[in-house]
Amino acid sequence: MNLAAILVFAAAACLYGALLPARFRGWALFAGSVIAVYVLQPALPIRYSAYALPTAMLLLIVASWWLTRDSNAHAGATTSQPLNDDVVGAQHAAPLQSPNDERYSPSPRLREGSGVRGIPRDDLVTLMALVALMVGVSFLRFIDVDFRLVASTPPEPLAVVLALLVIGAAGVGLRLALRRVSQRRALTGMILLIAAAFVVFKAEPLATALSRALRFQTGQDTTLASIADLGWVGFSYVAFRLIHTLRDRQTGILPALSLREYVTYVIFFPSFTAGPIDRAERFVEDYRALPGLRGLDAERFAGGAARILIGLFKKFVIADTLALGLALNVINAGQVESPLGMWLLLYGYALRLYFDFGGYTDIAIGIGILYGVTLPENFSRPYLRTTITSFWQSWHITLSSWARFYVFSPLSRALLTRKPKPSALVIVLLAQVTTMVVIGLWHGVALNFLLWGLWHGVGLFVHKQWSDRTRKWYRGLNDQPARKRLWVGFSWFVTFHYVVLGWVWFALPDVSQSLRVFGVLFGGG
Amino acid sequence: MDEKEVREKLRSYITRELIRDESYRLTDDEGIVTGGLMDSFSLAEFAVYVESEFGVYIPDSDLTVARMNTLDQMVARVMQDMK
Repeated sequence: MNLAAILVFAAAACLYGALLPARFRGWALFAGSVIAVYVLQPALPIRYSAYALPTAMLLLIVASWWLTRDSNAHAGATTSQPLNDDVVGAQHAAPLQSPNDERYSPSPRLREGSGVRGIPRDDLVTLMALVALMVGVSFLRFIDVDFRLVASTPPEPLAVVLALLVIGAAGVGLRLALRRVSQRRALTGMILLIAAAFVVFKAEPLATALSRALRFQTGQDTTLASIADLGWVGFSYVAFRLIHTLRDRQTGILPALSLREYVTYVIFFPSFTAGPIDRAERFVEDYRALPGLRGLDAERFAGGAARILIGLFKKFVIADTLALGLALNVINAGQVESPLGMWLLLYGYALRLYFDFGGYTDIAIGIGILYGVTLPENFSRPYLRTTITSFWQSWHITLSSWARFYVFSPLSRALLTRKPKPSALVIVLLAQVTTMVVIGLWHGVALNFLLWGLWHGVGLFVHKQWSDRTRKWYRGLNDQPARKRLWVGFSWFVTFHYVVLGWVWFALPDVSQSLRVFGVLFGGG
Repeated sequence: MDEKEVREKLRSYITRELIRDESYRLTDDEGIVTGGLMDSFSLAEFAVYVESEFGVYIPDSDLTVARMNTLDQMVARVMQDMK
């Protein structure tokens, strides 16, 4: 999201609040988010890929929505049910949530009955609107390049219509072919498909091979193929939101969502490129309350604008200044010889990363506030934390929460109930390391991110062993304030430097260069 | 099983198995997770215990500091689904 896009989103929020009839606010966020998926996509060298990738993303979202639909909810049931043949659900015949729990109540619209073949009319209208927007974006090819909104020329509208018809027919055919497959399996299949797509687009050798194949298809130079050809903006966040909904549908805790709610949740434009990763049940609470929102609420606009300004300052003043040679990068990592210089670069990198990402989060949250959606916080003074565990409760909070919900907890619980049960030490090590490796690889399927994940997994494991054995002693420090202050200061120092040293793996793609940096930092040359 | 019995069972389990200090006097409303007495893994252990002892499944998304920080919250969550 660049400065121009931020300004456009903020200006559009004024029109949204002042002029748009309240009942159309949900539609506006839906349409705006769909268009933003295309507008925020950068220019890509492979012909039409800057149009095809966002379109594929939207089709994937529609398919995921279709699989997560709860037909009972459409018939008027009050809560989604766990799937009977689900590993978890099979053990718990009772609904996982109280029917009175408002977080899980379906949209009022879903009680209105069916449109065509069990699909509510509103969802059909949304689907048609989505297709119209997809086709509509392709008409931008006829607009002068300076006013086109999208970075690359879209394909011919007729070709888009034909392609969508073929894909629609294939989707119907697939549905018929798989009609005997249980919903649980279909959901698992979709999770695996998304994970596979994620790996292909994030792993350099696979992405390069795909790029080569696509270049061959379009008659472009295959020797120029690279992972940069497939910069699928927003897919990392979209993938994790989709997996959240698919998995929550399996366990029966996903609220019933209309197609419009689902699509808007997954690609909500303020959080599309850099998070946070909201949860569907939280997002729809705000989304369904939009008609009741005061159009021009001075307090809301002041709050949102202040948050955007803070974010702009963090990102474009602090972070971008630090990026001008004051933070570790692949160039200066190979040039600096002195330990002090390297430590300063590393501290600079730690601050740059925080202000860059934290700034984007502030901007996203601020824009969300302007439109009446309160996105979750992603940072809470992470560099002031005194343990690695609390660091991960305050750094990229929504990603670490996602990993805790969908990797750490299920894996820990599965191992704890396994017979024979592994030792607690093994369970903790496996759960911590696996979770952090997933978080690491989410940033890119590469060795340096794997090592960064391992670094933090081991750090969390060691901290747990330490805290389990010293808890009583630590509580005893409450009676000795001076010693406790000293210990807290020491804990902060160790935690901060463990995190900062971990950024070496994160910042440098070449592991041998990282090892050289560690050598310089500790005076080994 | 009534709420009082559930509360005492949970208190006993948490101090014995998770805090590992049976002499610890755990109060109903103290922050167990925010106070550093339990962590994410302890919450997973807690969920497994609740499932085996009370037959109540707590979804992973409920195993958070916001929803499981105090004994009061834990008891309320178990009682919510106890038949």
